Amino acid sequence: MLANNKTPDKPDTSAGALRRVSLWFAAIALLGLVIADISVTTLDPWTELRLMVAGALSPSVWSWSILASSLANTFAFALQGVTLGAIAGFSLALGYRFTLVRAFCSFIRSIHELFWALLFIQVAGLSSLTGLLAIAIPYAGTLAKIYGELFEEVDPLPLDNLPRRRRGLSYLFYTVVPLAWQPMATYTSYRFECAIRSSAILGFVGLPTIGFHLETALGEGHYSEAAALFYALLFLIGSLRLWLHKRLLPLYLVVVFVYLPPQAQLSWQLLVRFVTEDIVPAPLRNQSFNSETLTAFSQWLQLLWQQQLWPGLTNTLVLGQIGMVFSGLLALALLPLNSSLFTAKRSWARGLGDGFLILLRTLPEYLLAFVGLLILGPSMLPAILALGIHNGAIIGHLLGRYSDQIILRADASGGVTGYFYEVLPRVYRQFLAFLFYRWEVILRETAILGILGIGTLGFYIDSAFETFRFDRALLLILASALLNSAVDQLSHYLRRRLHLKTTPESL
Amino acid sequence: MLSNISLSIHSGERVALIGGSGVGKSTLLAALREQLPNQVAWCPQQPGLVPMLSTFHNIYMGTLGSQTLLYNLANLIKPLPAARQAVEPIAQALGLQQQLYRSVDKLSGGQQQRTSIGRALIQQQPIFLGDEPVAHIDEYQGETLLQLICQRHPTVVLALHDIDQALATCTRIIGLKQGAIVLDAASDQLQAADLAELYKANSDTQAPQNAG
Amino acid sequence: MQCQLIRSLLLILLWTGAVAADTTNKPEFVFTAIPDQDESHLQQRFNKVAAYLQRELNVAVRYVPVKSYAAAVTAFRNNQVQLAWFGGLSGVQARRLVPGSRAIAQGYEDQFFRSYFIAHRSSGLEESDSLPETMAGKTFTFGSKGSTSGRLMPEYYLRQQLQQAPDQLFSKVGYSGDHSRTIALVQSGAYQLGAVNYKVWESELAAGKIDTDKVRVIWQTPPYPDYQWTLRGDIDAIWGADFSARLTTALLEMQDPELLASFPRSAFVAADNPLYQPIVDTAIAIGLIDAEQ
Repeated sequence: MLANNKTPDKPDTSAGALRRVSLWFAAIALLGLVIADISVTTLDPWTELRLMVAGALSPSVWSWSILASSLANTFAFALQGVTLGAIAGFSLALGYRFTLVRAFCSFIRSIHELFWALLFIQVAGLSSLTGLLAIAIPYAGTLAKIYGELFEEVDPLPLDNLPRRRRGLSYLFYTVVPLAWQPMATYTSYRFECAIRSSAILGFVGLPTIGFHLETALGEGHYSEAAALFYALLFLIGSLRLWLHKRLLPLYLVVVFVYLPPQAQLSWQLLVRFVTEDIVPAPLRNQSFNSETLTAFSQWLQLLWQQQLWPGLTNTLVLGQIGMVFSGLLALALLPLNSSLFTAKRSWARGLGDGFLILLRTLPEYLLAFVGLLILGPSMLPAILALGIHNGAIIGHLLGRYSDQIILRADASGGVTGYFYEVLPRVYRQFLAFLFYRWEVILRETAILGILGIGTLGFYIDSAFETFRFDRALLLILASALLNSAVDQLSHYLRRRLHLKTTPESL
Repeated sequence: MLSNISLSIHSGERVALIGGSGVGKSTLLAALREQLPNQVAWCPQQPGLVPMLSTFHNIYMGTLGSQTLLYNLANLIKPLPAARQAVEPIAQALGLQQQLYRSVDKLSGGQQQRTSIGRALIQQQPIFLGDEPVAHIDEYQGETLLQLICQRHPTVVLALHDIDQALATCTRIIGLKQGAIVLDAASDQLQAADLAELYKANSDTQAPQNAG
Repeated sequence: MQCQLIRSLLLILLWTGAVAADTTNKPEFVFTAIPDQDESHLQQRFNKVAAYLQRELNVAVRYVPVKSYAAAVTAFRNNQVQLAWFGGLSGVQARRLVPGSRAIAQGYEDQFFRSYFIAHRSSGLEESDSLPETMAGKTFTFGSKGSTSGRLMPEYYLRQQLQQAPDQLFSKVGYSGDHSRTIALVQSGAYQLGAVNYKVWESELAAGKIDTDKVRVIWQTPPYPDYQWTLRGDIDAIWGADFSARLTTALLEMQDPELLASFPRSAFVAADNPLYQPIVDTAIAIGLIDAEQ
């Protein structure tokens, strides 16, 4: 990607390098657009859209008790998952300097919540334990990374001033942890908002959250019901800061665990069978190890590669790349809406722009893609739009806040000229930093959009689960995890090379 | 920073390092700390406290190594009796009893420096290494604190800028200039005027750079 | 604050421990059904069936809704449900995964079930005696990936008559999830072609939900065995020696038209595992399940 740079070890920080990398990314995305299927296949997308708008304007609640209980479940899974994830993530972060711990965290967060859920459903069923673990595990990985990075960034002096002998964890708890506590709390509460989205989406695979009913209502075209459910979800997320106070947190924790205790009818036999049989590649199952089974295994692998892994990986990469570049473009386009540089004189405009971006950010891409598929028909187009809108809004929002720190000359030109000559060059480095930081997340999302029928890895993973071929499912999930980890590494490399700085809590 | 220094300090000595800013006092102290890391109570110029924790916890930190993790954690949540018994007399001696359970970011610079001294005292080491430990404390109190430090540690090495304090507290004076030892004498053989030279000449040649 | 947090975490630990210890063995009999159509009404439809079984068997019976065919099979396999109303393929998959389980009853209509191939008017395809070659290059949607009438049999006949795998034959292949959705997607033109369960088609046609100006049937498959009730083999040990016999009788003697309309079937008749061998063979033939070793 950076083949034209002659000195690989010297950090290249000139604007030229940023431009080059951006152009490479855009070029690859354009190339992807040529391969990708982005047609509108619905004969009359406007009819469906009209019906949806009509539904959105006339929300109706089908059953208040179902609405309330699914909303409560959504909240409960999210709070439980983030709590457990934070505890586990914190423990992992204490050892974050060890490569093995880092690799482990990277691995568990590279598997999307939905894939974890699909795995746990096989052994723990559609239980509250499944919901809890599906959120807690990937969140532990993400939080461990953030906590670990925060630990590395605190003032080293307090620790350095303490006696050198017999240094144990106590030292971390008395110096590094309190120093990092505030940003940790801020970031965790941001992740909680994400967890509510994740929790809602878990309903799409059968857990009793709001997504369960949302999927049904959307799929059957009951848009008024869908609208009511959707507004309820927005309301839950939007009102969090009004009632989820830090001091009441212990109370809420007790309530959600009493309301929805994590439990499952776990069968030891089933668990053993899952690990020792189900996920073992079919040709190796119950076979003695000899050259014949090895040949069968390599054939199995070859076929899987040709029919599923290769197309799945290619489509995931292509869609992920287009989605990422589109997110970036959208973020830059949305920036004027919520930057004080453009809305300084009109605070209402800033508030409106901010609200708009937060609303877009709150829409889970999985849900957006689902709705997009209903309107536009099956192709990569709805997925690209969904990825772009959600991630573009997140990056745009962060960028808006960043641009607030910029002070322009009094005689700086405004409007379009000002945007391109004054603002864009100043925010561009930070913009790339955010985008690369988000890359891994976008790719992970791209993979799961396959469950909706787009040909990314998720499609083949879902198919494998549908036909109870857990060996294939696991292999495909591992492939997607590997892809995400590789992209994470590449993004890390690029950020370091281009001297792009992100504060961990901005993810 | 330091060039070719050979220095031996004997147990029981009270040594003052003096010289203008940037001559290498802090560097020398840090190097001394490296020599005997396990016998040294370290009191740096930047207190480096943990601002969100209380004075009590910042002082207690000096003894973390002598307790189990579980005890330390419990003590972090709620000060335990044994820990209080260890910390409170020191806080008393430092005049911090009023601020003991207040977070240190609410303390004045002098109080923070005293907390830092407390964190060194509680370690009960044979050697005390202090870098301007009383710089932000008024003269009278500073005197008392230096006495306290000397009482509790057989061997003391202090970087000081106050020449009178150095002469009154220490038994041996080492003068530094541009990273080299230019003076090494028992304090009873020196006058304040001899030492003043050290600063004067220095200020001509040395541009003020990193303090200490 | 940290202190408070830690205290509540301890409390939670104790609570979940107590709950976990408490929930061993609730003798509630649970069943599910594959969500093959009209998902929002599944709960309504099957709660009535649960009430009927509860009356007949004198034990607590509950219906749990699931989101997909695979989820129904997984719940059956995990013993979260002991009885399930499966399609042909999902039943075969479930019985392979749970040794000792067996098909006990099928709908009267399931003895000679069919799939319909349907097309949007814009495709220009008309009803014919075999699958037309002109289907090639169009867009096509199956039902659920694990459906017998919406996937397995249609794919089998596509391969048999047109000698090509669906994703080679069509420009785009989708999986709608259930039969109602397949009809809706083809009717709206999102897909030009689709394959559905004939029973769902007939009942939606009767309910006036289908606009025959927009979508019509172009071919129907030969008959094959489909939906059936499948029961785990280990239930008599828990609910009593004659429980499975009583349950089978209760299903076969279900006569209330309102109950039967939930399926929708006219009656239930006895069934057994070998009856579904044709489904097993077809599934192996198109690679949906592996041949037994």
